[in-house]
Amino acid sequence: MNKAQHDLMEELTQQLKQQVIEALNLEEVAPTDIDNDAPLFGEGLGLDSIDALELIVLMEKEYGIKLKTPAEGKAIFKSISTMAQYINDHRTK
Amino acid sequence: MTDSNATASSPIVITGMGIVSAIGNNAAETLRSLLRQQTGIRPLRHLRTSHTDIPAGEVQLTNAAMARRLGIGSDAAVTRTSLMGMMAAGEALRQAHVDAEAMSRAAFVGGTTVGGMDMSEQFYGDFLANDSRNAYITQHDCGASTESIANHFGRFATVATLSTACSSAANAIVAGANMLRAGECDMAVVGGSECLTRFHLNGFNSLMLLDSEPCRPFDATRAGITLGEGAAFLVIETLNAALRRGATPIAVLEGAANTCDAFHQTASSPDGQGAYLAMRGAIADAGITPADIDYVNAHGTATPNNDSSESQALVRIFGADAMPPVSSTKSYTGHTTSASGSIEAVICILAMQHQFLPVNLGWSQPAPDCIVPTTDSRPPRPLRHVLCNSFGFGGNTTSLVIGQSPADGATHATPTTTGSTTRSHAHTPIYITAAEQVSIQGTLTEEWLTAPTTHCEPCACATNVETRRWLNATEARRLGKLHKRAIATALTAMEHSGTELPDAIITGTGLGCMTNTEALLTHLCEAGEASCHPTTFMQSTHNTIGSLIAIHTKSHGYNATYAHRTTSFDCALADAWRLLQLGKIHTALVGGHDELTPTTFRLLAKTGYLGNPGQTAGETAVSIMLGSRATHRSLCRIADVRRVFRPSAAELRHIASGMGHIDAVATGIFGQSPLDAAMEQCTGHLFPGVPLLRYKNVFGDGFTAFAFALYAAAHILKTQRLPEAMLVDATRRPAKLQRLLAINRTPSGNNFTFVVLERADTPTSTTPPSPCGHSCL
Repeated sequence: MNKAQHDLMEELTQQLKQQVIEALNLEEVAPTDIDNDAPLFGEGLGLDSIDALELIVLMEKEYGIKLKTPAEGKAIFKSISTMAQYINDHRTK
Repeated sequence: MTDSNATASSPIVITGMGIVSAIGNNAAETLRSLLRQQTGIRPLRHLRTSHTDIPAGEVQLTNAAMARRLGIGSDAAVTRTSLMGMMAAGEALRQAHVDAEAMSRAAFVGGTTVGGMDMSEQFYGDFLANDSRNAYITQHDCGASTESIANHFGRFATVATLSTACSSAANAIVAGANMLRAGECDMAVVGGSECLTRFHLNGFNSLMLLDSEPCRPFDATRAGITLGEGAAFLVIETLNAALRRGATPIAVLEGAANTCDAFHQTASSPDGQGAYLAMRGAIADAGITPADIDYVNAHGTATPNNDSSESQALVRIFGADAMPPVSSTKSYTGHTTSASGSIEAVICILAMQHQFLPVNLGWSQPAPDCIVPTTDSRPPRPLRHVLCNSFGFGGNTTSLVIGQSPADGATHATPTTTGSTTRSHAHTPIYITAAEQVSIQGTLTEEWLTAPTTHCEPCACATNVETRRWLNATEARRLGKLHKRAIATALTAMEHSGTELPDAIITGTGLGCMTNTEALLTHLCEAGEASCHPTTFMQSTHNTIGSLIAIHTKSHGYNATYAHRTTSFDCALADAWRLLQLGKIHTALVGGHDELTPTTFRLLAKTGYLGNPGQTAGETAVSIMLGSRATHRSLCRIADVRRVFRPSAAELRHIASGMGHIDAVATGIFGQSPLDAAMEQCTGHLFPGVPLLRYKNVFGDGFTAFAFALYAAAHILKTQRLPEAMLVDATRRPAKLQRLLAINRTPSGNNFTFVVLERADTPTSTTPPSPCGHSCL
């Protein structure tokens, strides 16, 4: 990954954190509180199955990515990093 | 002619049934489809949606065709939910030979969640922009559907609407049965109706619960729900009442139980605790054992989660080796959501009448986490007792046990009493052990008793509640202002009454969380059917309030939500009163909760309900703890609760004359509103010379504002304080504050509720026997 790609990825990660906070109404969480590689579900931010569905809506709305089943989201929503990577690879907008 | 002594022991029989669904427009057509194993699941034809890839179980009639069959003019503002309900209720009433006289002594209890949403989603743009579709605004709410169905046939003694998502119709059956058991009426017409809408199709789709193939309940490849629509109603009455009027029972409603999974708003617990408790409760209520159950009509939605959870519960009840035949008939009708409880009850009755098993369509591969459903229509033994499951979002789980018609017994039996008898038992006093509110008078405060704030603006919002004391940030983040206020008042009422776990949680809400409903309607209007938010849909259902409280307190007991217009709270209170009188519960948390948004206010002002001169619209959050035992904390005692529908002047006078001495009457009078005249005339006529109190000028008006009357009366009786602002005539202060009457008269003049409250520390006065020979509530 060259520097330009790296910067783009970093920008996407920061933007994504802000979008996740807004979509899930995480009022008391700041983007800097979210570790790029920390698990989003279970321990980490304490998200649940409804949040996973909201993340699916977020990906569809913001990046034009459509998932067919909630099961597909499992690997994608492991952390902000995995989510950013998936969006980077599959975005249609 | 209601006789409580006989009803207590007389079985509840079903004397009529009617059904409309994707597999038939009446019982005969439904039977034919079931016997031919023909599904009604097809590509969508009637619902205008962009989701053309999703199949559904649609009723094969247009609105116009149904209206023609019902003799309704093409210009009438009537919704699809109402039309289907009228078709089904009409068939049931005809089969049971219900005449006007029997109807006037009968309750009509419907279940729906969608209500008039089909028209609201179609005309939402018009609602906001012009006056061309205003007639449909008043048809939007759940109670409007039930009333339009009931009014199509004549005059019932009382009407109520349950809205507990997919168990609504089952809970309407439970409520009607309890009315009969309490001796409140001779007959109840019970069931539910729900049409397909883009609103809930997209809601379920956003929750990723829909299968793009026809549903396959209990199959290893099951991938979700196929939605359906329809309606079904039953005529239920005590065997004695049926025999007295020469009606023929077609089945027996042997037992029922309403419980709560208290696990998650949209998912079932892995061990199916709610389902287990509902089935166990219904079988026990029927006085039989699991071994007596000959067939189970499962909830079986075909989601991976429901079918696994329900299977666990079934194994816990019956044992893996002694499982009776089980099937989900949603493979024929689709999931008819709020109507499914009564639709599947009718299917159970057909199965018993014709001694066949409705086979589970779409099943081919056993799933490791599921029971094996029946694919053989020949019952291994005669069908005498069947179990019918209905589970809803919010964990509202209800089961019914229906038994074969007592044909032999019935034809030879004679009624145990004859002629007209009136309800003659005195009520057990019930205590209000805590009452809390959030309103335009502040949050969880009784300052209004000494220094009420004054409001003369057309609409005022209550304060937003900080819930950190009860919920952490993660738990609170999805909740709207309505949910937060409900949690705050409910948990405070429980704490102040010293109640750890209420036996029942019963909620009244006219419209539920309008913030979420409007958000989804706006999304459908502006953005179309893509990217709907699951949270918005989940939080819009009326039973969210009661289920959130149950989940938070882990309350697995009776849980019901009433959405019946401006008597939603009244219905909830009457239900709690009934269950306490029957001794089924000892404590109940009763709530009245509604919120106001700028759009809700604007639309309701267009209908003339809000925005009138001298009327301040407010928001309601009231939680009241009721108990059958007095404690030193008790605020007051409730001596009587009655609801009547479209009563005659003579009936109202009759009821009023039986109330005994009243020190003051709390009414919906504002003080300076043109709306006051009808209420003043009515109360002045019924209780001449009795000082009148008002509360809507203090707390604001709204669908569940009557909850404030009870809340205020309880604190007035306890503290013996009465703020001047609550006197209708400042020169007429009550001489004593020992016994108060709260009256709710709905704007239409159709519904009346009477609640008598007494000081808790005075000796119990025996409530005079009900003087009315009919429409006793």
